[in-house]
Order: sequence, then C-alpha cells, then structure tokens
Amino acid sequence: MIKTVKDLEDMTKSELLEHLNDTVKPEVGEIPAYILADPKVYDLEHKKVFMKTWIFIGHESEIPNKNDYMLRDLAGYSIIVSRNADRSIKAFYNMCTHRGMKLCRADKGNKSAFVCPYHGFNFKNNGDLIGVPLQKNIYGEELDKSTMGLTEVRIESYKGLLFGTWNEEAESLDDFLGDFKWYLDILVGRAEMEVLGAPQRFVIHSNWKIGADNFVGDSYHTMVTHGSIAKLGMVPSATYSKMGYQIHSENGHGLNLGTPNPDFAFPEELIEEYKSNLSTEQFEVLSNLKNMIGNIFPHLSFLISHTKVKGQLISNTTVRLWRPIDHDKMEVIAWFLVEKNAPEDWKRRSRESFVLTFSPSGIFEQDDTEVFTDITAAAKGPMPVIKNLTYNYTMGMHRKPVDFIGPGVAYDDKFSEANQRNFYKYWLELMNK
Amino acid sequence: MSMEKMLANYEFEQWLYKEAQLLDDIDFDGWFSLMHQDLKYQMPVRINKEGTERPDYTTDMFCFDDDIDLLKLRVDRLKTDYAWAEIPPSRTRRFVSNVKLEGYNAEEWASVNSYLLLYRSRSTDIHHDIISGERRDEFKFEDGKWKLSKRVFIVDQTTINTRNLAIFI
Repeated sequence: MIKTVKDLEDMTKSELLEHLNDTVKPEVGEIPAYILADPKVYDLEHKKVFMKTWIFIGHESEIPNKNDYMLRDLAGYSIIVSRNADRSIKAFYNMCTHRGMKLCRADKGNKSAFVCPYHGFNFKNNGDLIGVPLQKNIYGEELDKSTMGLTEVRIESYKGLLFGTWNEEAESLDDFLGDFKWYLDILVGRAEMEVLGAPQRFVIHSNWKIGADNFVGDSYHTMVTHGSIAKLGMVPSATYSKMGYQIHSENGHGLNLGTPNPDFAFPEELIEEYKSNLSTEQFEVLSNLKNMIGNIFPHLSFLISHTKVKGQLISNTTVRLWRPIDHDKMEVIAWFLVEKNAPEDWKRRSRESFVLTFSPSGIFEQDDTEVFTDITAAAKGPMPVIKNLTYNYTMGMHRKPVDFIGPGVAYDDKFSEANQRNFYKYWLELMNK
Repeated sequence: MSMEKMLANYEFEQWLYKEAQLLDDIDFDGWFSLMHQDLKYQMPVRINKEGTERPDYTTDMFCFDDDIDLLKLRVDRLKTDYAWAEIPPSRTRRFVSNVKLEGYNAEEWASVNSYLLLYRSRSTDIHHDIISGERRDEFKFEDGKWKLSKRVFIVDQTTINTRNLAIFI
C-alpha cells in the first residue's frame, strides 16, 4: 500500500526525517529514487553528514616543503592547508577575521604568510595575525591581535591521507576509519606514495551519492557499462569483474577486491618496501590483487586498477572526491598516486594508464558519467516521491559472509549489494543524529 | 609577412577547418587519417597560480596524454557498441579562429597556434557545454600532405564544465 505523501518541499524537517525513515530501507534492499535528486535531502545531508564527518582534503605529499600550501574545500568552505616551519600541517578557514575576505585564491603555492586583499591584514601560516596596516595610528593600543587569529580546522591524517572536519566532537579519524585501515594500508600505506601533478577536476550533473554507491560495491556494472574495455582486450573478459571479495566495515566504508591475479600489479623493484610496510596477510592480498575499488564514507572513492595498455600490463592508484555542488551536480576531483621509489618509466606508464582510463577523458570514466547524469535526471521532482519509485538493492541478501584474511564483513565474490546497503544504513543513521 | 607565409597560413586554416568538420561530422576514421605516426596529443590540467606566475598549467598531469596508439584505441572504442558516453553522439561544433603560423619549413615542418571554441549539446539537454582554449599544433609533411604531429591544448577552465572528454579537442 502506498500512502499518499506530501510534497517533500512542504515537509518540515521532522516530517522529512520520518519520510526518510519510512522509505530508505537498506535492510530489505530498498532505496527510494528521490534521495538522489532532492534539494531538501541535500540540505539536510550537508548539515548531518558533511558538517559532521571526516572529509578528505588532500595528500601530505602535495605540500612537501616548509610553507607549501594548498587550497581545498571542506563541506563547501574554502580552507588553506599549509605546512608550517616546524613541518606540521595546519588548516584554516580561508577568511580574513577582520572583514571576511578570502585570503588566498591560488590552488597551491609556497608562502609563510597571507595578506588580505581588502585591508591588508597579514596572517602567518600558523594562523596568527601578525600585521595590521597603520595599527598604532588607527587602533592605538586597543587592538588585541591574539584574538584575531584565523579559524583553525581540525585535521588528522592516515598514511598520508589528510582529512578535516568542522565537528569538534567527531570521533578520531583513526576510530572513524576503524577496520577499514587494514585495506587503506594496501592502497596508500604499501610504500611511500606521492601525488603526481595537480588533481583533475570536472563537473558532472549528478548527485554525489551515485559516485560513492558505484565505487563502494558496484562491480556488476563493469560487464555492460565498461563492455568496450573487454572488447579492446584491456581486461581479460567481461566477467572478470565478478572474481574476488566484497568487504565492508562499520561507518559505511566498503570495497571490492579483485583477485586472483597471475601477474604482480606493482613495480617488482619495491617488493622489499611493500613487505616492510605491510603485514604478511596484507602482502599476500597485494600480491594477488587485480583491482581494488572502494569508498571511504561519505565520498572519497579509491581505485587500484590493473589493465593492459599497448600490450603491457600496468596498474594505477587513484583517489577521487565526489564533491557535492548542488543536489544534482558534483565536482569530481581525482588524484593520481604513485610509489615515490618506483622507476621513472613505471611512473610514466602508470600515469598514462590513469589518464587513459579514469581521467575526464578516461575510457572507463566517461561511460560512468553518462549513467550518473541520467540516473540523477530521472530521480528529480515530485513524481518519484508520489509514485514511491525505489531501486532494488537485494543482490546477495541470501548469502552468508565468509572468512577472509582481512577484517570486516566479507563475501566471496564481488557481485553483491551488501556494501551499498551498508553505505545507506550509515547514511540514514547520520541523517537521524 | 611574405607571400609564402601568407599562403601557408591559409593552408593551415583550411586544414583546421577540415579537421573541425570531420570531427563534427563524427568521421573519426577520416580524422585519424590526418594524424602523423609521431603524434603527441596532450591536454595539460590548468591550475590557478599566484598572480601572473606562468605557466598556469601542469607539465606533469594531463586530461589527454596520447600517442598514435592510444588515440587509435579511443577511435576504435567509439566504434564498439558499448561506448555509452557517445551513444548517441554529442552534437558538436568546433569554431577555429586566430590561426597563426609560428614556424614554417616548406614541405617539412610547421607550427601553428589557434583558438578553439567547442560547443557540445548532448541528448535532450537544454543546457550546453562550452570548451574553450588554445591549440599549439605541430605538423610534419608526409606523402604530399601535412599531418598533425603534436597538439597541446590549453583549456581555459581549471574545473572542466562538461561531464567527460569523450570528444576530441
């Protein structure tokens, strides 16, 4: 029985929450379409999800030297992430405390202080206000500069991945990532990793959750959406994407681990470095890895992809943010990571495979963006609410988890939607908090 | 400008117009036949720098970084039944202007800069995407024809406002 619902637009916040709780039902594999394109849901998730949880802001290697800085977005607010003279990394809201002007407009650079373009207030990169033009003359002795430092952002990092949050009460990043760290070690802790080049940025008219949903557990689409790749002989067969494990952990994180792989996907020269950074079990997973695709809640997706380019096997490692711009629009920001000690030719080929497969021109990426756009368009407006349009997320509900060498809840192939159910379960939990 | 250079400038204008037409007509094989074996086809990522510091694009990250083999792969892919990004193809219109011959050795080598304004309309979308930028091209003369041996496209956006680059620049 479908009960008549009010237009979401006319609902109060508590009515909206009630409606979400009635209709978002990951436990039975049912997710309503409207949550992918509704402005009210988007506003609420900004407050309840993006303002509350840890958000990826970059990799430590992007600012390797003293006084290096980069400009990033934290839940819709521009922040300056800067490496101080003592080499520690700090982050501040990019707003002059005098009159609110943006202090910095470059993507990155090297500066020990930032001067406001409005009245020339001057802030050191540790946040201190150190200079006010004509201070004595116009303020006398009254201005207490020590109370006018930049607004500091709480940041923490794991294996070079920097996260920030506006929520002072949030659990530590370590606790938030929990068991999932075991897999992040393989992704970014296996060796000393560095970001090469600037991140790629492009806009898709899509809700951010579709990207997260796709990466957290959807290997099923690979056969069809990416059918062209198998046709070109870059991957073994159209069904290769099923082999491996689907794993999720608490707090909505999840990944698909493609295995086995008869070939070693990483530079052989670094085997000793991998062994010294990973446990025996983690190294075993790395040795047999064909691909690894997942999502750190809410919207940092990652990928290790091993494909054949010009007849030669090569892997690339990337992380990407599905940064929400609006309920139906997101900016994709994709970083390419590579082993710092890999041979130069390996780095070059790895980058080449990233650009070919998962950049804006990427031959995997571009077919995904078409799907994301059309799903968002179809979920818009009052009709999907009135008609109670839902998606089916029941795949693999009949299956039992298996024992796996790493932590989390694991299933013994990748064609399941347990990870997506886990993602929406945590999303709904946060929406209710 | 000498008469020879003027004629050469005109010749490359016509070359670029023909290229634009082939791409806009979705004749990728025809377009690919204009490429030289030594091709380098690059589109660096554009970035915001402090003040007037240049270059304001990266030299180590690209949206396209193809040689002739990879470009062939893209063209072949578009001919499979699974290249969803361009099924059905976008309607594109490439406006080429400000064509300027930078270097020229008759029947050997040339370097040509031009501006590109690319209009893209997809499916039933009422909005359109615009990609604007500068092409820095190099040509080699082979079998009586000029072939493109290098293209560096400097895009005018740091965040590209189109869903993908399943189209060529």
